[in-house]
Amino acid sequence: MISLTINGTRTEVREGTTILQAARFLEIPIPTLCYHPWLKPFGACRICTVQVQRPRGYELVTACNTPCEEGMVIQTDTDHVRQARRVVVELMMARWPNVPIVQKLAAEVGLEKPRFISEMRDEAPDACILCLRCVRICEEVVGACAIGYEDRGIKRKVVTPFHEESEACVACGACAHVCPTGHMKFEPEDYRGKPPEFLLGPNTAIHVMTPQAVPKVPRIDRESCIHFKTNGCQKCVEVCEAKAVNHEMTDQELEIEVGQILVATGYDLFDASVMAQYGYGRLDNIYTALDIERMLNATGPTGGQIRLKNGQPPRAVGIIHCVGSRDENYHRYCSRVCCMYALKFAHLIKERCPEAEVYNFYIDMRAFGKGYEEFYSRVLHEGVNVIRGKVAEVVQAGWSKQEEGTLLIRCEDTLIGKLREIPVDMVILCNAIEPRRDAERVARLFGLSRSPDGFFLERHPKLDPVATSSDGLFVAGCAQGPKDIPDTVAQASAAAARMLATIAKGVVEMDPVRAEINEEYCSGCRVCNALCPYEAIEYLEDKNVSRVNSALCKGCGTCVAACPAGAITGYGFSDLQLHAELEGLLAVR
Amino acid sequence: MPYRVHCMVCAGTGCVSNRSLEVRDALENEIRKRGLQDEIQIVTTGCNGFCAVGPLMVVQPDGIFYQQVSAKDVPLLVEEHFIKGRPVQKLLYKPPEAAAPIPKMSDIPFFKHQRLIALRNRGLIDPEKIEDYIARDGYQALVKALTEMTPEQIIEVITKSGLRGRGGAGFPTGVKWQKVRQAKGEPKYIICNGDEGDPGAFMDRSIFESDPHSVIEGMLIGARAIGARYGVVYIRNEYPLALERIQIAIQQAREYGLLGENILDSGLDFDISVTRGAGAFVCGEETALIASVEGRLGDPRARPPYPAEYGLWGKPTCINNVETWANVPPIILHGWEWYSQIGTERSKGTKVFSLVGKVRNTGLVEVPMGITLRQLIYDIGGGIPGDKKFKAVQTGGPSGGCIPAGMMDQPIEYIAPDGKREARDYLDLPIDYESLTDVGSMMGSGGLVVMDEDTCMVDVARYFLAFTQDESCGACTPCREGTKLMLDILNRIVDGHGTMDDLRALEEIAWVVKQTSLCGLGKTAPNPVLTTLKYFRDEYLAHIEAHKCPAHVCRALNTYRIDPVICVERGHGCGVCRRECPEKAIFGEKNQPHRIDQTLCKKCGVCVEVCHFNAVIVE
Amino acid sequence: MNQQQRFEPRIVGFLCNWCSYTGADLAGVSRMKSAPNLRTIRVMCSGRVDPTLVLRAFQLGADGVLVAGCHPGDCHYQEGNYKAMRRVLLLKRVLREFGIDERRLRLEWISASEGEKFARVANEFTEQVRALGPLQLEEAPAAVAEPQLEEVRA
Repeated sequence: MISLTINGTRTEVREGTTILQAARFLEIPIPTLCYHPWLKPFGACRICTVQVQRPRGYELVTACNTPCEEGMVIQTDTDHVRQARRVVVELMMARWPNVPIVQKLAAEVGLEKPRFISEMRDEAPDACILCLRCVRICEEVVGACAIGYEDRGIKRKVVTPFHEESEACVACGACAHVCPTGHMKFEPEDYRGKPPEFLLGPNTAIHVMTPQAVPKVPRIDRESCIHFKTNGCQKCVEVCEAKAVNHEMTDQELEIEVGQILVATGYDLFDASVMAQYGYGRLDNIYTALDIERMLNATGPTGGQIRLKNGQPPRAVGIIHCVGSRDENYHRYCSRVCCMYALKFAHLIKERCPEAEVYNFYIDMRAFGKGYEEFYSRVLHEGVNVIRGKVAEVVQAGWSKQEEGTLLIRCEDTLIGKLREIPVDMVILCNAIEPRRDAERVARLFGLSRSPDGFFLERHPKLDPVATSSDGLFVAGCAQGPKDIPDTVAQASAAAARMLATIAKGVVEMDPVRAEINEEYCSGCRVCNALCPYEAIEYLEDKNVSRVNSALCKGCGTCVAACPAGAITGYGFSDLQLHAELEGLLAVR
Repeated sequence: MPYRVHCMVCAGTGCVSNRSLEVRDALENEIRKRGLQDEIQIVTTGCNGFCAVGPLMVVQPDGIFYQQVSAKDVPLLVEEHFIKGRPVQKLLYKPPEAAAPIPKMSDIPFFKHQRLIALRNRGLIDPEKIEDYIARDGYQALVKALTEMTPEQIIEVITKSGLRGRGGAGFPTGVKWQKVRQAKGEPKYIICNGDEGDPGAFMDRSIFESDPHSVIEGMLIGARAIGARYGVVYIRNEYPLALERIQIAIQQAREYGLLGENILDSGLDFDISVTRGAGAFVCGEETALIASVEGRLGDPRARPPYPAEYGLWGKPTCINNVETWANVPPIILHGWEWYSQIGTERSKGTKVFSLVGKVRNTGLVEVPMGITLRQLIYDIGGGIPGDKKFKAVQTGGPSGGCIPAGMMDQPIEYIAPDGKREARDYLDLPIDYESLTDVGSMMGSGGLVVMDEDTCMVDVARYFLAFTQDESCGACTPCREGTKLMLDILNRIVDGHGTMDDLRALEEIAWVVKQTSLCGLGKTAPNPVLTTLKYFRDEYLAHIEAHKCPAHVCRALNTYRIDPVICVERGHGCGVCRRECPEKAIFGEKNQPHRIDQTLCKKCGVCVEVCHFNAVIVE
Repeated sequence: MNQQQRFEPRIVGFLCNWCSYTGADLAGVSRMKSAPNLRTIRVMCSGRVDPTLVLRAFQLGADGVLVAGCHPGDCHYQEGNYKAMRRVLLLKRVLREFGIDERRLRLEWISASEGEKFARVANEFTEQVRALGPLQLEEAPAAVAEPQLEEVRA
């Protein structure tokens, strides 16, 4: 520990502490400008000048980068210090008279008006004051070194190399974050390619995936994290008191031995931008059902309010059912849940924007569940319009001033037999439930079958809707087919019960379909050994015969068909049985 | 067969530009023609120092000094001196006041008062031949340091010798070496700072050009002492000859096994590379220099940490000036007792000064510390040319201050190191680090600019400040903004628009810039302004209040008038001024007195220059 | 039998338990119409289909034989369908030697979800065999015609 005196107060600090840190600990104010807690002290602005007693008089040093020494006597408010600070601020005021942070410093040191006008005077309130925080954070913390400075002396300027857009820039925005004047600006939308009006997804590198995430812990998005781009930063590690941030963590492959597996891998949503006629991703104010769910959420970006891009509540909303479902071009099946959530949206929009007209465009209204039909009629009574007919297209309404931003829905109203054009300013697309994009890989992995629509196939559509053709493998939820929450709960409960039943029994029953080798007939040719996919056939050297391990044998019968000596019997499907079957089959003409 | 005569032709930059190489070629031709090549050896040496009278030549063993030799003098010279043994009278040095020329170099005052340590081999060896250096006891000190001394002992000797950094700040070299030795981090680096940026200073260049091996030997001893593995010589690219010679020297040292691995079988590994600087003044500052070596923009950074702990590539680095390194071998060879006898109480040894300006004998001189300004200017420098009055001397380059001669007889208070106050005379001021600092100037790299009465001190301050302002890197506020505003004020004063408020602001800004700047450049940039304000305030006041420049240097404040009597009587109204005046402000007929229309005159001063009869009067 | 009546071939189908048999089941559940000429025998895997079974079927009067298994890569037993494919290819050559048109033997990949494909294959194959006409094998010696089979016991 080092003891020193600041403004007459004795204090003790750890070695390596700067004067600024010591003074702030004692709550002695020292103005700073180029100093930033994330950065190495730079000592360029010289605002933080303090006076240190030396054997031969005094010395003015910068507090931000001067380490405390044993027995140091420091004054932060002497005439010399005040004069130095005032002149330094005056020099800045002479050049940047309208920058708020310089004006604030001027007020602090009691300077009203500078005596001089610099030749390089810049009257912009967001002028660059050459604190170089941006350059330093880009080098020290981010590690990208995308910004530098050119020229020297009074002509010094912060620039990117060769004044070109810097390729090294990782678009992290750190420079804009630390810029004290707002000279550095950052428009994050440009590089993410997302619609700028609506960053519904997470937009920081560390975030809780969704407000309702379980477990509710933040995670690092490798795509956005500076560390993974430049190997620098790691500020999160510094600030985390629990030392919980670990950039070294990677995906791990775990091997867990289990007896039964429930495949409940869920679904994906149909990409609505594929149906270009509906304008998703092309026109403003067109959202998918999931976007709207996010907007309606109280923890969402609008706090649960329905808002257009311009921040106004919508005057008319069109909800289009069956986007990608019940469509020969995309999915022929019905996604089952859309009608009801579309009615829910209509209900909620009516509740939150009572003035708004809501139109539902449906092919058939499928309100089939318990209490669903009642909800449908309630929504109808709330004044929601329902139009039976598939929407042809959604277009920009027009280019005149009052029509700006509004949309036009073209459809056929099949109940009145007319083509209609309905002006709205927001469109919600109820996009289809799809099998997961990796369903093919999952199916291969587990030996599952998939129905023509791509969902996993159950063992029997009526008699065994939760099991699959493989023993111990079950399916539940939308992995098996589109279904709503009650159905999913029911199916998952059933699957769980089936699995528990097996566990409770304690023993596993196996099909008796097995192969067996008659050792008397076996010549030890070992044709069967190579054929068995389960390596269930072992060759006994001493007896010069092969033998089937019946615990490993799955009873496929490949070896039975191949045995040249006819020494192998496939129980349940023996030659005798099959021949008899053939005879019986062909006995009748 | 030993040579009868050695003819040392100076091949320093000054003499080379005065065509000394032609003289050498002519000599060689002439000697070959007369069949004397086995008797007379021609040696091209580094800078002799007496650049004012180049191209020059010294004939050994008699030490006859020839000045301003040209190629056409060569046949006569060979005939008279080398064959008949009679020195050529018309080529000998002749001091202005003396009747007879001085043939021997050691008798010439310019050389008589010098004491050569850093420049010990100047004019004696061929700098491109390592054999010459070794013949003059070269690398003896290295052998001694490697075989007889431990690193601690080397540092002890350097510390006790009292050697201080010759780059200007005067930090004790031994203390610095000790710090680097103790600092943690491998490998350690040694840097030779050859970024000589002061206008008019050329001692570093001269050492590189006349004796590059002395620097290499000094760095090798330093490497042994502090345990460094790599050395860097940072040299300005504007010094092509110096660059070439240090590169040749490094190559030769490598061939002799004096650089590389396991030097002289001692286990010391050390090698030197050369980095060329692009010529920014601020790169002479150690942290900026390190940044430049690393390939970054040459910006200084705030210290601490000092380079001794966090230097080149973040490793402990010992950075010393060229002259400091050149001083190391003699100290090791002759011992600290010998060295510490020379100089003053706190500043030991010798210092090389480049003596320039309004002084007869301009050139490079090495003198013991503690020599007085009077000795330097009058005894060595030969005084002021013409019948002008000595006005001031500026030391330490653009960062130094002006010491006035006007207070020559007025003693000032001098605070001795022990705290005693005593009266001193500026001109009799013994030159050492402290005394110069006390009068507001500094040692700097050793520039000495002598000024006579024709010099305007405000203009001098403006000139030096314009230089430092232009060379400011722009990192810290006071230096970037402050020097610019100071320069604006000085420009106003010089143009006659200055006010007393300006003067007060100038003083205040200068104080703040000096106190709060980040690096040495800013901390010293106001020195010319502050010293001239202190010693020549009346000149400032004359500019501001009377709108006059006492030295008639600041043209905007001058009034040009034609003396009608001289114009007619001597010049018969020749009309040169009328024809040459760019503003057509001069009127008059032939044989009639001419006159200047003051409303049209733009005060360019052309009329003064063109008038053959000195009829134009400046007031 | 009325000569004028259409020839109704008899076809034996060996269907693997996991894919093709389930697919056939799906065709039934889905009320798809398929030719009744196809008479199916369930085997655990198409790899179980012993060539002798096919030959026996022709001997017993079948006009066509269909072997159906899982799609390549989908076999419940990893690679049984590949073995079936190899065997069928060889068997077709043997059939040629015997003077049986190789088009009377057909190998198809029908997955559990391809009920529709099953129906289509059944119909197509029936039409194909119908076009080929009845299989007329020479009368074989009785001893060969009736191989003595007994359950082999281990």
